[in-house]
Amino acid sequence: MYPQNNKDNAVREIIRLERLEKTYYLESLEVPVLKGIDLSIYNGELIGIMGVSGSGKSTMLNILGLLDVPTGGRYFLDGQEVRNFSDNALAQLRNAKIGFIFQSFNLSPHLTVEQNIEMPMVYAESPKKVRRERARELAERVGLGHRLKHRPRELSGGECQRIAIARALGNSPAYLLADEPTGNLDEKTSDEIMELFTGLHQEHHTTIVMVTHNPDLESLFDRVIHLRDGRVV
Amino acid sequence: MLIRDLYYLSLHNLLLHKIRSFLTSLGIIFGVGSVIAMLAISGGAKNAALDQIAALGIDNIIVFTKSLKKPGGSESDPSRTLDYGLTHVDMKNIEKMENIRHITSIRNGRLQITRGVDVLDVEMFWVTPDFLKDLNCSIIRGRWLTPPDFKNAAPVCVIGRDVKRKLFNLGETEIIGRILHVPFGAFTIVGILENNAGTSIEGINSINDSIYIPSTTGRKVFSEYTAETGPRMLKIHHVEHDIFIVKVKDTQVIDHTARRITSLLNKTHDDKDWGIHVPLSLLKQKEQTQNIFTIVMGSIAAISLIVGGIGIMNIMLANVYERRKEIGTRRAMGAKKKDILFQFLIETVFLTTMGGVAGIGLGIGLSAAVTRFSGMPSDVSMWSIVGSITISGIVGVLFGTYPAWQAANQNPIDALKAE
Repeated sequence: MYPQNNKDNAVREIIRLERLEKTYYLESLEVPVLKGIDLSIYNGELIGIMGVSGSGKSTMLNILGLLDVPTGGRYFLDGQEVRNFSDNALAQLRNAKIGFIFQSFNLSPHLTVEQNIEMPMVYAESPKKVRRERARELAERVGLGHRLKHRPRELSGGECQRIAIARALGNSPAYLLADEPTGNLDEKTSDEIMELFTGLHQEHHTTIVMVTHNPDLESLFDRVIHLRDGRVV
Repeated sequence: MLIRDLYYLSLHNLLLHKIRSFLTSLGIIFGVGSVIAMLAISGGAKNAALDQIAALGIDNIIVFTKSLKKPGGSESDPSRTLDYGLTHVDMKNIEKMENIRHITSIRNGRLQITRGVDVLDVEMFWVTPDFLKDLNCSIIRGRWLTPPDFKNAAPVCVIGRDVKRKLFNLGETEIIGRILHVPFGAFTIVGILENNAGTSIEGINSINDSIYIPSTTGRKVFSEYTAETGPRMLKIHHVEHDIFIVKVKDTQVIDHTARRITSLLNKTHDDKDWGIHVPLSLLKQKEQTQNIFTIVMGSIAAISLIVGGIGIMNIMLANVYERRKEIGTRRAMGAKKKDILFQFLIETVFLTTMGGVAGIGLGIGLSAAVTRFSGMPSDVSMWSIVGSITISGIVGVLFGTYPAWQAANQNPIDALKAE
């Protein structure tokens, strides 16, 4: 379960969840969605989170992505407990620690590839020169170094997702959080994107947490966390 | 987020939708345009009025004779001499007062001047030497009346610019040295004067339409007595001076000096056969009324700015709704609420400020057009331009804050789900 080929870094817990709970309150009704989740994810792991709809997958993703806060239990991100953080502090943590990848890419159609990749770095207030350089480097890493000045509508779906992955890597986050990254792609492109993920995983020891319901991907993950009815099974 | 990136992003978003941005800011463009035009036109009217008053001289006090509607004595006496108005004694007394530089006296010749059988709209005035200077006139041909003219009561005259056209034929170009015949007198024309300042003074219709002779000559040729005849009636008027233009030394105390002249004349005149004006006070009054006028006009125009602002707020709210997914994505990428807030706020402020700049162009064009086609003067002041840009910015902040706040407070989870 531990990353096998991690030479540079000691084994580090990137995510630790302790009896994590999330309950929604709808008027007088209590709806428990996550019912005490214990989970650790280490650096360099490629993790799949799977489960049918209604299993609490999305809620789990939102909490891991610091877009939502749990109602019980503890969440340690890169060794730091996330608790009672202000909205600003959460935004800063998201910016520094998490690289989001979405099913529908969520690229800004009006910005160039370069500007899209720069977006998280803009919020990290990196100087323009540094951003430019880093964006070029990342675009090259995902194989689209020649597309920097293009706009998303001039790219294929697979290329868009590559750009989104490059964007997620901008601030060297602790881990990538991908939500159905191949859900909008055909099978062949899907395979290419998964290759990119496994490539990042193997060559750069990037920690990746991927939420998916595609059972075909199971074999690619180091470890799969199955969620059912708010619990890990 | 760095301010420069914020500016760039906001501007970039506006330029993406050029037509929409333009339509959105139309309200502001017209609002600012009408404010600028209104202020320019009322400012022009104000300046014209003020120039006219100022041309009377802000260091002048004007004292003038009022003819009495009901002279003392009985109306039944048909041949009574009417003796009224400013006198030589008044002139001496005023000259002796403090803060008086000098007095220019003007006496209306009370003559009908004709050309053939036509009665011309031309008057003759007896004046003292300082008239030319005190009424902001200049000689355009020949010379002004000289001290020897006054001393010797010489039969010479200076005519106003427009008199020439009325008295002489078109072909006659050289009129200096020609003799001007009027009832009971003949005068050699020695000069032509012109008044470009538009000076108007109680008792003188138009300076350019009148004839001027030395006061000494007037008294010698015509005497201070004039006869007014009518059916079974003969009235003799005796008026010594019609107008005093009293120049003061210190304008700070001009009101005080005017009050002293008033009390002096109150003491020495039984009837209210005189009046007094202080152009400086008129100027101040006129300035005040004009300012009120300007404020009212500007306020009415400013209402359209509010309407424009509401329009922008509407569009921006729709814009926020439309861009929820972008907002969600930015929030996930680490944008703080304030980053989103400022992004949208700056966008709105850019919109209104650019609208303001365009509106200034429109306003300048409008006022120029009004001046051109209606002849009303207009004056686009610097402060109205600076003020308009500032106010457009403020409108942007006022009406952009709510949409921006809405954008910043989108729940990122819901925003990400939006299509």
